[in-house]
Amino acid sequence: MTKDQLIAKLKTIVQPYIQDEDAFNNLSEETDFINDLKINSANLVDVILDVEDEFDIRIENDDMEKMISVRAAMDVVNEKLAAK
Amino acid sequence: MIGNDIVDLKYSSTGWVRPRFLDKVFTLKEQALIFSSEHQHQTVWLLWSMKEAAYKIHVRQFGERFFNPTRLVCDLISKEKGLVRIDDNCYFTESTVTEDYVYTVAKQDQNQEVCTSIFETKKEEYTIQSNVLKQQLLKSISQIEKIDRDVLSIKKTDLGIPEVFVNSVKLPKPISLTHCGRFSGFAYA
Repeated sequence: MTKDQLIAKLKTIVQPYIQDEDAFNNLSEETDFINDLKINSANLVDVILDVEDEFDIRIENDDMEKMISVRAAMDVVNEKLAAK
Repeated sequence: MIGNDIVDLKYSSTGWVRPRFLDKVFTLKEQALIFSSEHQHQTVWLLWSMKEAAYKIHVRQFGERFFNPTRLVCDLISKEKGLVRIDDNCYFTESTVTEDYVYTVAKQDQNQEVCTSIFETKKEEYTIQSNVLKQQLLKSISQIEKIDRDVLSIKKTDLGIPEVFVNSVKLPKPISLTHCGRFSGFAYA
């Protein structure tokens, strides 16, 4: 999967939970889930579960710990996919 | 330092019934507490709001953000009072639970006086609600501190921590803001 494809998939996953349309439209690797997209932290759990389902991976809590930005989420997904 | 968190029980996620949700958020002991409670939805969000309020202090104290709710371990002392431990740190919590919402204020110092307020608005767009909340807090600070409302403003740090300014000078008083669904709340110490 290319970087752009991965970002596009993540974008679809977070869409139901975002509260800042502008930040969502300008979503990039630098985007922060909470500070930029204003995703409620309870919904961040839903995002993580949706990521697990979409990519058929399991994310341990120690890996989840850093997943507060698009870039960090991409790193974790790539690591898990590579380990499959 | 202080932190607060509110959860609208009507608009809060029912996602906790999803497989794996509880394991990502709660320790086994906390899950036992949830399963043995009469109102499970309420207990889920009570423990969540305790963690979230304590987390806000932790970020202020150590400048480190992370997303791992199981690292914050809750103990309920009574129906309203609790303790949240993060690594070697311990924070005190006081919660209000109603049919509509759960609200928690966390403090580093148990005896710290905190001015706090909760109010209901229509479920609005994020920016509108966020603005209403800030205006309410500034109005309250203006009255308590006897400072002209027009010179007060709120700015967020890079970590997303809100701070109050009098003109361009930071007021050395911690604040915390929260909203969820129909409810907003602020805490000020």
